[in-house]
Order: sequence, then structure tokens, then C-alpha cells
Amino acid sequence: MEFDWSPEDRAYREELSAFLSEMLPDNWQDLTREGPGGADQVVFSEQLCAAMAERGWLTQHWPTEYGGKNASAWRHAVVGEEMWENGEPRGPRYMTVNWVGPAIMQFGTPEQKQLHLQRISEGSVVWCQGFSEPEAGSDLAALRTLASRDGDDYIINGSKIWTSYVDHADFCFLVVRTDPESKGRQGISVLLVPMETPGIELREIPGLLGKKYFHEVFFDNCRVPTSCRLGPEDEGWSVVTRALAFERVGAAHYQRAQRTLDETAKRAGEVGMLDDPGVLERLGAAQAVVDVARLHTYKVIDEREKDAPPSPSTNLARVSGTWAVRTVAELAFELFGYEGLEYGSFADSYFRLGMWAGTASGTTEVQLNLIASRHLGLPRE
Amino acid sequence: MDLELNEDQRAVQDAVAALLAKHVDLETTTELAAVGDFDAALRVALDEAGFLGLALEDETSWLDAVLLVEAVACSGGLVDIGAAAIVGPALCGRTVPGPIAVLERGHRGPTRFGAHARSVLVEGEDDVRLVGVAASGEAVESNFGWPVGRLPDDLAGGEVLGADAVARLHRFWRLAIAAECVGAMLGAFQTTVEYVKQRRQFGRPIGSFQAIQHRLAELSVLIEGGRWLVYEAAHFDADPQRVAVAAAHATATAERVFAETHQLTGAMGYTREHLLHLWTMRLPVLRLELGGAREHRIAAARARWGSSSDD
Repeated sequence: MEFDWSPEDRAYREELSAFLSEMLPDNWQDLTREGPGGADQVVFSEQLCAAMAERGWLTQHWPTEYGGKNASAWRHAVVGEEMWENGEPRGPRYMTVNWVGPAIMQFGTPEQKQLHLQRISEGSVVWCQGFSEPEAGSDLAALRTLASRDGDDYIINGSKIWTSYVDHADFCFLVVRTDPESKGRQGISVLLVPMETPGIELREIPGLLGKKYFHEVFFDNCRVPTSCRLGPEDEGWSVVTRALAFERVGAAHYQRAQRTLDETAKRAGEVGMLDDPGVLERLGAAQAVVDVARLHTYKVIDEREKDAPPSPSTNLARVSGTWAVRTVAELAFELFGYEGLEYGSFADSYFRLGMWAGTASGTTEVQLNLIASRHLGLPRE
Repeated sequence: MDLELNEDQRAVQDAVAALLAKHVDLETTTELAAVGDFDAALRVALDEAGFLGLALEDETSWLDAVLLVEAVACSGGLVDIGAAAIVGPALCGRTVPGPIAVLERGHRGPTRFGAHARSVLVEGEDDVRLVGVAASGEAVESNFGWPVGRLPDDLAGGEVLGADAVARLHRFWRLAIAAECVGAMLGAFQTTVEYVKQRRQFGRPIGSFQAIQHRLAELSVLIEGGRWLVYEAAHFDADPQRVAVAAAHATATAERVFAETHQLTGAMGYTREHLLHLWTMRLPVLRLELGGAREHRIAAARARWGSSSDD
């Protein structure tokens, strides 16, 4: 067992950190106030990702045959940590390099690879994910958006919801039902849909988490060629599951939580609160929650590095990651006091992130169900 | 980075497991606990196998010692394993006659192994002394899961341990507390998971109720998290921040594990006919030492964000 980073990864972290210090503008805090999907951050992310791509850093975890460097899962984690420490300046593009690209490598046709991989690896393209629907949230397999076959085309009708980045997206990783008679996980397919296709309409859903954060996407007789389909028809569920397995490591939320906690402690020190044992006690408790999330995530990275099959470690990491974000968000809000009431302030920005942590990309309850059945072997109802 | 045990560590773990399988008998342990005694034969076996000095050998480290402590605590073995394999060796640089009792500065009242101790580590204002005693403390009846006894308030003399002994005592005692907590929590947790799989009410195993599943799933996130914190702290030679975090998390989780495992095993868990008490009734005691979760958390915060402290 070894908990230290290799000298190479440590050196790389320093290099990456120096690069970010140089790249991030002075008003970076302002740019990040709407989160990674905010307009300012999406615009900036293109510039940053291009600079990373130029250095061979954006897709270094990709296989060499697709222009990557086959970098280790740990190296990939260093990138994640340094990015999340700074509020993820890759914006929505982290998602495309983390799992959309790899999914296309695994399931795509030569034409799809040709069309997408180069652009993704340059960081010049934004994707959104069309998963959730009004009646299919935690129970994603209840999705109803229908893609009906019409010769060499599909005609898509239905709607997706809670979609982030969609107002900037060039493509949508869209999960649809291609067999109208099917139910559940059968009869589902994945389509790679250009957002400029006629028949797509967006509606912003005003929300509590940020401006232009949530959208509903309507498909009204939206026609795309069958060549947009990723993987076999009606067998998209396994495409989705395996695509998201690339995302097992996920975003390094614990690192953002750590940075926020450090800033909170610094602020507490500036106003003399670090002499208060009650404040120290809460800071120490929060540190433990963050460290637990970090180590659970490291376990997932370790398994990924060793090509181990998906395990419940992912679910443990997800639950503890949520706890970390929420704990730190609450503490930061309290210790920053009234300053946090201003929209876009340090404490407010993180508070909004914390609100969402137990729901985004799968609820905590679903994770707990999976731990109970897969990890503890508890009987089903 | 590598979060799997290496071959040597696995070999040690296997050897410890084999010894525990041979020497730990939970019926005997229950009888010993009921009369406030400890498992002297198990302690001798661990000592003779060389496990108590594991951390001091060239080819092993604190991580091996922590794995040992966790395994012994999880097995239900009733010995002073944290003091014997971690605190004693860290402070004295050798194994010392046991059981070992540890008294923090200003300690009042009964203590673990107080009546049976042959060595006592006494924290003073700015030193730590190793005092040899002849199991001469006064036994105290206790409902908790350790033998407890009262040592004289004015234990004098003994060997004065090195200059940084106070800080070292805090670091390694925290490591030991965390490792013992994690092992005992695992024992209590595994027993409870088995119980809810077997116990049927309303025509089905109670472990099939989501209300119960989520509580156990949350405990597993906390307990597994505690293991990783302890391993990492041990890997970094009981670094002050990491051990304080590990002890803070383990002792806070211990409070919850105690409440939840007893709640989920119902009335059965409050009997001495069920084994749960062997693990749970030790946890509250571990939560008292060195000021408990509150002091561990404060120490963690001070270590990370500065401000004067002896931690």
C-alpha cells in the first residue's frame, strides 16, 4: 500500500498548477459564479482547453491510437484535482474528454470517430447529455423520448430535462427509445445529435442553482440520419452503462471542497475565529468528511488503474463526495456570515453547488440502494 | 499510489488471521468480559508470535501494526492491542510488559486495564513516563467491554521517555484509538448485517426494508472511510493532522455505529447471549480517550490551519 504520489505525478502537478496560475484571469472568481456550465466559463474553457490540448494534456488518458498518451488513472486524477481545485476551468469540456470521447472510441463507427474525436481532443466542441426526462429521473429506464425509424432516418419526439450546457452545446449525447413497444432497459438506443438539427427547442427553467443552469429540451419531429446512432439499435442501455463507467472516477468534488474549506478556515482566522474551539471543532470535523471522500475516490482510481471490474467503491465514493460538498458548503456559509448573502460571492457560489450535490448525476438514495444490494448483499424488497 | 496490500502485508495479515482463528473464542471472551478480565492467553500468543513488535521491525511499518490492531479488534479478542502494538512500541522503541494502561495528563477515574496493567504510560506536563507496576490497580466493576481499574493518582518514578514524547504519545495514541475503533466497528457492523439478513418480521427479512438498508449503507461508507483514514495516517508515520482526522472520524462514527447497530438488532442486541456487545460496549470507552472526537477535531484543525498547540 502506497499513499504517496509518484515523483513524476508530483512534478506534473506542479507544472499544471503553474500553468493554471498563468492562464486563469484575475477575475476568475467572478467567471466561476455560475459554475462550470455558466456562459463565462464555457467561453473561457475553449481557450484553456486549446492550451491544454497544445501541450498534450487534455486527452493524455486516451489511448495513443486516438492521440492520447495512455496516461495512468492516477495522472488523470491529478488533472481532475487541479482542475476542480480551481472550479473546473475546462467547463463542460471535461465531460467530453472524460467519457463522451472514450464512449465513441469504444462504440463508434469509423465515420463517427472521424467526425468527433479530433474535435473533442482539441477541446473545440461542447456536448450536453440528454438523459433525464420529466418522468424518468432516478428511474432512467422509464424514459419515453421516442426515435421512430423512417428509412435511413430517425424522427425524434419527446423531451429531456435538467440539461446543463445545452445553450452552448454543439452535440447532445441523447438516450432514446427506438422500440416503441419496449419497456425498461430494452429497446433503448444512443444518438449523437447535432444541436443545430431543426426540431429542437430549448426552454430555460428558472432555478436556485445558477442562471441558465437548467433547461428543458423539446424534440418535435426532429430528423437525424441513423448514422448518428452510437452502438447497436435497441441495445443502448449497455452503451450508456459502459460509457458512464469511464466516468467512474468522476469529478474531483472533494478537491473543490478542500479548497473551499481551506479558504473558509483562512477567513475564520482573519476575523479571529480560529481561537474559538467550537469553530476549530467544526473545521476539523469537516476536514475528516473531505478526507473520507478523497480516499474513497482514490480507491476507485486504484481499481481503474488496475482495470478491475466496476465495484461498489464507486457508490461509496459518490455518497461520501456528496457529504463532503454539503458539509463544507454549510460550514462556509455560516463562517462567511452575511457576506454569503451576495449572489456570486465565495460562500454563495459554493452553497449553490452544495444544494445540488446529492441529486446531480444520480441521487444519494440510488447510491445507497446499490451499496445495500451489491456491497452488503442485503435482500431486495 | 497503490491502495492494495502488497505481498508482505498480505502475508502478515494472513498470519494474524490464522493466529486469531486459533486463539479467539467468543464464548470465552464473553465470559472474560462479564468478569472484567482480559484474554491473557491471546496476549501471550500475539507476543510470542512477534506481532506486538511488528512496527519496529525493519521490513514492516506502522501500517502492518494498524492492520494487526484492526484485525484483533474486529475478531473480538480482548487485549490491550492498541497500546501493546502501537503506543508502547512508538514511545519506548521496544515492547514492554503488558497489559499496558495509558494515562493522559490530568486523568482521573478508572482506566482500561487499570487493574491488570504491568506497564503504565503516564503523560505529565511536558514528559511521558513508563512506570512498571505489578497488576496492582484496583479493579472496578463496569458494564463496558473492557476490564477497567483505578491506578493511583500519584504514580511516581519510572523511565522518562524522549523529549518529544508528549506529542508522540498523542500521535500514536490517536492512531491506536482510530485503528481499534475501526476494527470494533467492523465487528459490530458485520454482526448486524448478518442479523438483519436472518431476522424475519412481517414475513420478510428486516434487511430487505429500505429504511434499514440505507442506514447500513451509510454506516459502511463511514466505516470503510475510517479504514482508509487509518491506513493513510499509518503510512505517513502518524502524521499529526492525519491521525487527528482519523481519530476524529473513527470516534464520531463509533457513536453512530453503537446507536445504529443496537437499534437494528432490537432487544436481542442488548443481551449477553448475542455477540454484538463484544464490539459495541468497547466503543464508548475509546470515545473518551484523549478528549474524544471534540479534541481530535480541534487537533486536526490546528494541525492543518495553524495556531499554537502541543498537538
